[in-house]
Amino acid sequence: MNLKKYLVRALHRLQKGPGYTYKELLVWYCDNTNTHGPKRIIKEGPKKKLIWFFLTLLFASLVFWQWGILINTYLSYNVTSSLSIGFKTMKFPAVTVCNANPFKYSEVKHLLKELDRLIEAALERILQPMPGNSSDNVSPPLDLELWNQIPLVLIDEHDKDNPIILDIFETNQTTGGNKTAMGNKTSVSSLAALCPQCSHQGSDNCTYRNFSSAAQAVTEWYILQSTSILSKVPLHERIRMGYQAEDMILACLYGAEPCNYKNFTQIYHPDHGNCYIFNWGMDEEALNSSNPGAEFGLKLILDISQQDYIPYLSSAAGARLMLHQQRSFPFLKDQGIYAMAGTETSIGVLVDELERMGYPYSDCTMNGSDIPVKNLYSQYNTSYSIQACLRSCFQNHMVEICGCGHYMFPLPEGVNYCNNEDNPGWAYCYSSLRSSIKQRQVCIDSCKETCNDTQYKMTISMADWPSEASEDWIFHILSYERDMSTNVTLDRNGIIKLNIYFQEYNYRTISESAATTIVWLLSSLGGQFGFWMGGSVLCLIEFGEIIIDSLWITIIHVIGWCKGLKQRRARARFPDAPPTVSELVEAHTNLGFQPEPAVPRAEALPPEPGTPPPNYDSLRVQPLHGLGPDSDTE
Amino acid sequence: AATAPGKKITARLKRTLPVRGPQAPTLSELMRWYCLNTNTHGCRRIVVSRGRLRRLLWILLTLSAVGLILWQCAELLMNYYSASVSVTVQFQKLPFPAVTICNINPYKYSAMKEYLSELDKETKKALETFYGFSEGKSKVRRSVDEWNSTGSDFFQQIPLLKVEDFSRTATDLHSGQKRKIEGSVFHKDSSIVNSGDSNDIIGFQLCDANNSSECALYTFSSGVNAIQEWYKLHYMNIMAQIPLETKEKLSYSADDLLLTCFFDGLSCDKRHFTRFHHPLHGNCYTFNSGENGTILSTSTGGSEYGLQVVLYIDEADYNPFLVTSTGAKIIVHDQNEYPFIEDIGTEIETAAATSIGMHFTRSRKLSKPYSDCTETGADIPVENLYNKSYSLQICLHSCFQKAMVDSCGCAQYAQPLPTGAEYCNYKKNPNWMYCYYRLHEKFVKEQLGCQQICKDACSFKEWALTTSIAQWPSTVSEDWMLRVLSWDKGQKLNKKLNKTDLANLMVFYKDLNERFISENPANTLVILLSNFGGQLGLWMSCSVVCVIEIVEVFFIDSLSIVMRRQWQRANKWWKDHKRGSLGKAPQASDLERQGHHNPVCIDEDLPTFTTALRLPLPQDSPLPRTPPPNYSTLRLETAFTEQLPDTLELSQH
Repeated sequence: MNLKKYLVRALHRLQKGPGYTYKELLVWYCDNTNTHGPKRIIKEGPKKKLIWFFLTLLFASLVFWQWGILINTYLSYNVTSSLSIGFKTMKFPAVTVCNANPFKYSEVKHLLKELDRLIEAALERILQPMPGNSSDNVSPPLDLELWNQIPLVLIDEHDKDNPIILDIFETNQTTGGNKTAMGNKTSVSSLAALCPQCSHQGSDNCTYRNFSSAAQAVTEWYILQSTSILSKVPLHERIRMGYQAEDMILACLYGAEPCNYKNFTQIYHPDHGNCYIFNWGMDEEALNSSNPGAEFGLKLILDISQQDYIPYLSSAAGARLMLHQQRSFPFLKDQGIYAMAGTETSIGVLVDELERMGYPYSDCTMNGSDIPVKNLYSQYNTSYSIQACLRSCFQNHMVEICGCGHYMFPLPEGVNYCNNEDNPGWAYCYSSLRSSIKQRQVCIDSCKETCNDTQYKMTISMADWPSEASEDWIFHILSYERDMSTNVTLDRNGIIKLNIYFQEYNYRTISESAATTIVWLLSSLGGQFGFWMGGSVLCLIEFGEIIIDSLWITIIHVIGWCKGLKQRRARARFPDAPPTVSELVEAHTNLGFQPEPAVPRAEALPPEPGTPPPNYDSLRVQPLHGLGPDSDTE
Repeated sequence: AATAPGKKITARLKRTLPVRGPQAPTLSELMRWYCLNTNTHGCRRIVVSRGRLRRLLWILLTLSAVGLILWQCAELLMNYYSASVSVTVQFQKLPFPAVTICNINPYKYSAMKEYLSELDKETKKALETFYGFSEGKSKVRRSVDEWNSTGSDFFQQIPLLKVEDFSRTATDLHSGQKRKIEGSVFHKDSSIVNSGDSNDIIGFQLCDANNSSECALYTFSSGVNAIQEWYKLHYMNIMAQIPLETKEKLSYSADDLLLTCFFDGLSCDKRHFTRFHHPLHGNCYTFNSGENGTILSTSTGGSEYGLQVVLYIDEADYNPFLVTSTGAKIIVHDQNEYPFIEDIGTEIETAAATSIGMHFTRSRKLSKPYSDCTETGADIPVENLYNKSYSLQICLHSCFQKAMVDSCGCAQYAQPLPTGAEYCNYKKNPNWMYCYYRLHEKFVKEQLGCQQICKDACSFKEWALTTSIAQWPSTVSEDWMLRVLSWDKGQKLNKKLNKTDLANLMVFYKDLNERFISENPANTLVILLSNFGGQLGLWMSCSVVCVIEIVEVFFIDSLSIVMRRQWQRANKWWKDHKRGSLGKAPQASDLERQGHHNPVCIDEDLPTFTTALRLPLPQDSPLPRTPPPNYSTLRLETAFTEQLPDTLELSQH
């Protein structure tokens, strides 16, 4: 019923016109709105009216401009950081301890025997380059198979354009015509040692890796060769060849409680062999430390048995250790530090945490699940980290391009490690991949840092240990405990003492919170609107209402105009004016209606009297009661 | 006739742009009008409320709201220049910093022999005289004999003295004479000197050459410090006279210092290093100095991908008095920064592998008005003597050097030369040492004003270093390593290398996370304004429009009303005066009708018929007047205003 009434009224309006003009509507709006400016426009004198009109316009544009700025600020997702420093009971970091040397030389000697003889002979040749006077009485013939795959050569660069390449074991000198050496040329005066890597044996597609120092060339060459040999050894065998926990960890004390090698988790690290991790909270709860100072930290005595080092593989001697989070894999090459033999190394720890908000505030990843790189380190049951991502990325590329995995990184399923027999060109492939900047950039772009970044800031100090006075008895006891012998089996070159403890302030946390929330945005928008114009959301609704009204007027006008057009056309056909539709309707609804020659009523009015008429509406011929005046004009 | 068009124009102007006063005749009416029509809340309540208590309450509330607004806005204004800190971490390819490496010993001792022989002899003699120490008896005897023949007045001028404390006598090194000490005594390490125990104290005396009575005695609690300080003083004097090219030759060449070099998995050599001559550390070599326009960067962290060098430290060729420790010094810095190696260098041990993990942090502070820092250093009135970008350290050193040139007439050896100055040496500036020590004393005590002038830089880069040391070479690899490195070194070196001559250094990024700590303005103008708006709106629903209203009503309108009143009063007085003289009585209705002379004046009281009829008729309306049907329509307002119900009520009341 109501709807019908409403429709009838709307129809009526359509026929009769809107009942008010744009001007009336605007004036009414200005007078009744809650926004502050417009009211003044109509209330003041003509001069002030002008001023207020421009002021209102100015303020309105100011409001919109500042709203734009505010919304922009909101969409830039700024964060504020808060910093807190102090001491609290915290999880003690996981401590990974490794020997700088991966395997006991005594255990791997049989595997590396050929290689070592080869390199010794090569060194002999390098150091005494005259072929005549060198001692050629090496009794067993050298196995040159290893050599021929990746030979060490000398490049004489006295003649820059035509470098002479001299294989160390062959006397014939080949002039490097088509073989272009990679990298920068070394100084002209000295000989350079290089190791070339050929993609296929015998092919001309060779690159020479250029070293300015023979020491480096020999080390790199040895690492490449031994990697190839050791990659064929099964994992359990490699673990057996490394340092065992009971041999390496001689004493352990955490807080006031004793611990031993059984508290350490063994992990096989390709660079450093067997590594042992203390407090790796994979299964059990991580240990807490609630007191600062060395007395309440971890105290370790390690033996690295330097005599058993592989001579050509690692030239630095010491323990490698690293502090990391419970669920992360230790990347010792990146973040590890050395501890020197014969010293006591004290490490004060400050946990530096950075807690960030994820997307869209910053481009970081919470757990790495949204990274397109398959995390190969998840087989160690560790969480995502940027280092793991980069290495996995490299290994995936390596498998894709070279067809085998590099020995230093974990393997994807169904792939084997590279070795010289199965993949003769792997070294070439690897080194070209490693030096490829494009590949690195791809990995950098696809990996993201984690949102919660924890770093352990270390204050490292060292002292000689054991002191000369205490040396005797300490070695004695430790030897007895480890080997059950009364002889001293340890020496200064192998023994390391470590203290790891929390500093007086053990945490520094920087946490982020959103600087601009939706509440902030709304209150700022409201503040701006209120400041310039005293407006609120209701004012906006008012404005919207006016716009709808004026649209309504426009629609009605347009319909009226169309109707007029039609009429004029019809009138062109019939010269005498027929009753229009509106007249007919009017006649139908209004009984007292006389079809006069109707001209618009506004024009029919007499000119304005001195005092304005009280109300236009009151002068109108009121329609029937059922169709009361539109509520807008009331 | 000439004035007629002008009058016409003014008349028309008056008609079209009527200049009229405020709409209320009196101040109280104006206030009333304001309160009823203002957009702010509160004021209206005062007028509308009935009852004295309620009105008082509303006055109090409104006033307290105004007070609160003022207070809060003042707070907002005061906190405007505050900064918030944001920390961002970015994982990316990082530019590798410049790494400057120096041998701790600046010049080869063997090459310096000819310049330093006299000084060394003098030092040895002092050692023998005061401490009975001699390397070989016969040699020293000979040198002492020689001494007398080749006397240098310079050494005699500033000799080492043995001071018997408090007796104020000192024994001269040469003459053995005792002499009275005049002037002030400076203890170089004063707080440590135990004044009670009058051991023999070694020191030296510096006198003003122009005025020999003014002397300063520098004493040291330990002879080690005294001799080193004294040696350094003379050493600088000698070095200042040697030209730079010669000094560069006397120091180590890149081939001497660097045995092997490896960066980012590739071999590098001396061409990647730039020589940089440091006055106190001789030739230093900067890796990745960016001098040829390219700055190397790393895209992989870890020790393999950083810089690995083996340094040759020729321990046998060390100067025994100048430096007493062995090794190298390195500093990690930005390409645009000057390496202050003597201030913040890290020492590298020999026979060890030093692994230095870096973590990169970039910081930026907001400059004025947030904090007192400088962006480029251009606003600091100290000339930057170093050819590098501004830093606090550069400013302090430059400031000191400038003060030195100003007051002593020559430049100190350890810092770069300002234009037109030259380094101090004893021949040209016999007074410089005294002057220098005096000036340095002042500088340390912040009397030169350098610490006040120099500001810290707004942005800086920091590489946090984690240093750890391992034994190198390991006992089993020592043999072949030393042999191969000796071969690398080449034929120039005849002897086999010793492991204490070598130092292995690794500098690498621990991770490629760049931390960027920056200060941002906590408030922008937009936020300040919206906070203002929030405060104004919360307490009084006020806006800028209200502020303009207040200015309009309380200042312009009130003032004009007061002025008008004064004008009328004066006018009236003048008329009275005139009339008094004429003997006419003033018209009573003059003042009363004042408001009604103004045709646009709106009274708050509804016009009565009589008042309405008194209004002037619109001039151009030819129509007869119909009696108005409603009072409110009699107002000369626009036809569309409506009387608000409460004012209606009030006026009826």
